Amino acid sequence: MIGTYAYTLSHYFLVGAGLGLAMLAVYGLLRLLGVKGEAATGLALILPWLLGFLIWTLDPILASLYISFTDYDVLQPPQWVGIANYRTMFTADPDFLPSMRITFLYGLLSVPLGLAGALGTALLLAQDIKGIGIWRTIYYLPAVLPAAATAVLWRWMLSPSAGLINTLLSPLLNLFGLPRPAWFTDVRLVLPSYVIMSLWGIFGANTVILLAGIKNIPRHLYEAAEIDGAGSWVRLFHVTLPMLSPTLFYTLVMGIIGAMQVFTQPMFIDAPRQAGIFINVYIYQQAFSRFRMGYASALGWWLLLVILLLTLLVFRSSAAWVYYEGERRR
Amino acid sequence: MRHKSLLILVAFALALTACAAPTPTPAPKPEPTKAVAAPTAVPPTPVPPTAAPQKVKIRLTTWAGADESKELQAVIDKVNAASSTFEIVHEPVPADYYTKLQTSIAGGTAADLMWLSHEEIIGYASRGALLDITEFLKADKTNPAAKLDDYFEPVLASCQYQGKYYGLPWIAQPVVMFYNPELFAKAGIKEPDETWDWATFKDVAKRLTIPGQQWGTSFNGWPPPHMWVWQAGGEVISPDLKTCPVDSPEAIQGLQFYADIIYNPEYAVPEEVIKEQGFGEMAKAGKVAMFFGGASDDLDYAYTKDPKNAKLKVALVPKGPAGRATFAWSAATSIWSGTKNKQAAYEALVALTEGIHHWKIVAPRKSLANVETIVASVPGKKDSAATILKALPDMRPFRVIPKYGDWNDVFWNQFMDPLFHKKGTAADLAKAVRPKLEATLPK
Repeated sequence: MIGTYAYTLSHYFLVGAGLGLAMLAVYGLLRLLGVKGEAATGLALILPWLLGFLIWTLDPILASLYISFTDYDVLQPPQWVGIANYRTMFTADPDFLPSMRITFLYGLLSVPLGLAGALGTALLLAQDIKGIGIWRTIYYLPAVLPAAATAVLWRWMLSPSAGLINTLLSPLLNLFGLPRPAWFTDVRLVLPSYVIMSLWGIFGANTVILLAGIKNIPRHLYEAAEIDGAGSWVRLFHVTLPMLSPTLFYTLVMGIIGAMQVFTQPMFIDAPRQAGIFINVYIYQQAFSRFRMGYASALGWWLLLVILLLTLLVFRSSAAWVYYEGERRR
Repeated sequence: MRHKSLLILVAFALALTACAAPTPTPAPKPEPTKAVAAPTAVPPTPVPPTAAPQKVKIRLTTWAGADESKELQAVIDKVNAASSTFEIVHEPVPADYYTKLQTSIAGGTAADLMWLSHEEIIGYASRGALLDITEFLKADKTNPAAKLDDYFEPVLASCQYQGKYYGLPWIAQPVVMFYNPELFAKAGIKEPDETWDWATFKDVAKRLTIPGQQWGTSFNGWPPPHMWVWQAGGEVISPDLKTCPVDSPEAIQGLQFYADIIYNPEYAVPEEVIKEQGFGEMAKAGKVAMFFGGASDDLDYAYTKDPKNAKLKVALVPKGPAGRATFAWSAATSIWSGTKNKQAAYEALVALTEGIHHWKIVAPRKSLANVETIVASVPGKKDSAATILKALPDMRPFRVIPKYGDWNDVFWNQFMDPLFHKKGTAADLAKAVRPKLEATLPK
């Protein structure tokens, strides 16, 4: 049995031994160059990660930048085309702008809704109520479930005639004589369906992060506010939210990045093509179904640029609404 | 301190070598024993007198899932046992098959043999990823699977690009109509026969529909609308690959017939119900009276595996104004152009194709198009085999171009999707979409 795998296993041992030797060599070299023992050990120890980063992260990133300026169908060598791919996006691709549009709209709806929901839940969980540990676990569960499983679950939940959502809505719909919404088949409801789905994921992770932020707010601030006669709302708006603003800022940035890169849900749930294709799914399709790796790379770099710009905007706005304890106000 | 650091480093290096986890490797090589006799169907591969004692390893990649892989492995084992020159090693990739295939070709590590759906072959061949096997086939006078005139011409044509052959088809699945005789009997309607045309089909679909409970038929882009265009005498891509006459009266007639039925609750299952209950599942559950499926689908014998499944029978697809053309999904095995063992890969390809022709139905060869071969491959097809055989002369795969992905994109996104969702008539949409389709054709 072991003989079958011996050849493959030997490769692993060789790679491991090679890395070990390289680490020792780096350590020795650094020591020869006069680097202190502790620093040399540290640098030698990060060598495997550093090599991994250079080979499997930095190299593909740079390669994709180069490929974005080429006509590359994956099966033949890339041909340099300059900025043609970037020009095609805006001048000759009828699907690009609708893809950006649905992705933006999704982010615009899902991020604030998710953040508001997560904040509300975190505020509730921050109360001293019985069995709080169980509640926290329940609210965090969605964050650890695989996205693919969640997508399949939501497909059932939003099923038109037998889904949980429509079953819950049916008394109300019947009252007004409205038909049951066809969530993922009615073009108008596709985006709201994805947004509802997204709240599940954002909710779990953000709730726990915000809860940790709330728990870190010093109690004496609330005591001082109470002594000054501040009520619940005043404490919320003048103590909790300002003190929580760095955490909100972090969750907002991560939410925007996540929303712009949504991929798993639309890959697992089929929706009418007219509703639009999320940009990340579009990139994947261009790369692997249309033999257009060059164009897909250009789309990828464009998406990166958009995310960077949005993040920059949020960063620039942070001076107006994010408060860091100990930071001097100018 | 220095010794301590060194100790940590050495320990870490050792840990690295020990922590390496093994990755799945191809199944262990089966020990050929004398007890395993080579099947008569697989011809003996000629062994050159100077053949090296060790067999050449030929890697085969497929999209086969767990069950299919098991069955394929049995075929491969027989092929390997019969060969003294090569040994096929199966590397299944059940998910994201084409993504993996493309990246492995780009990385120069592709398998020697690969399965390709008929829509993909021309795309890969035109990009230089497949080995031209025309000369190998010409020189091969012994292997039955290399006898090109034995293949159904339209199916073999899907492996041809600019007059050269880039693979051998191993299946041709014509679309047939599975119907539920119990629902027909309940409604007092005669079971379908060869006199059925579009009008009969539409009329019966309506009569067999009980809103919210049972439907006459079910369309969702499958069966391919192309079939109705062909049956009306039209084409979506002309034979010379120069035009896309989707706005011809024949094409419009076929597409509009399809559009009038799809998701229309008078005749067919609504879209949201299909999404909820599953497309084929509804036919198995006895909720759809007439369902179009591939000849090898198990709908006609699924009840033998689970009595909960409805008992369905097979009929030919209804004929249109210009004939009974039916779509045939086909797939082939091709050789990677970067293979280091061209001769061995070719020998493996031919032997494997012969083996698969006795496993999958329908084998795309005239000499194997008989009830005995079909039943020997899939015993559950005993009652359907004769009807399936009648569908073979009318079957045809899609006409494929190198940029078929682009063509498909326009066809489905800008034509079929709005048509199915009543955003325009076939005539209106066809005029607008034709130039876009034609822009993807070879210049």
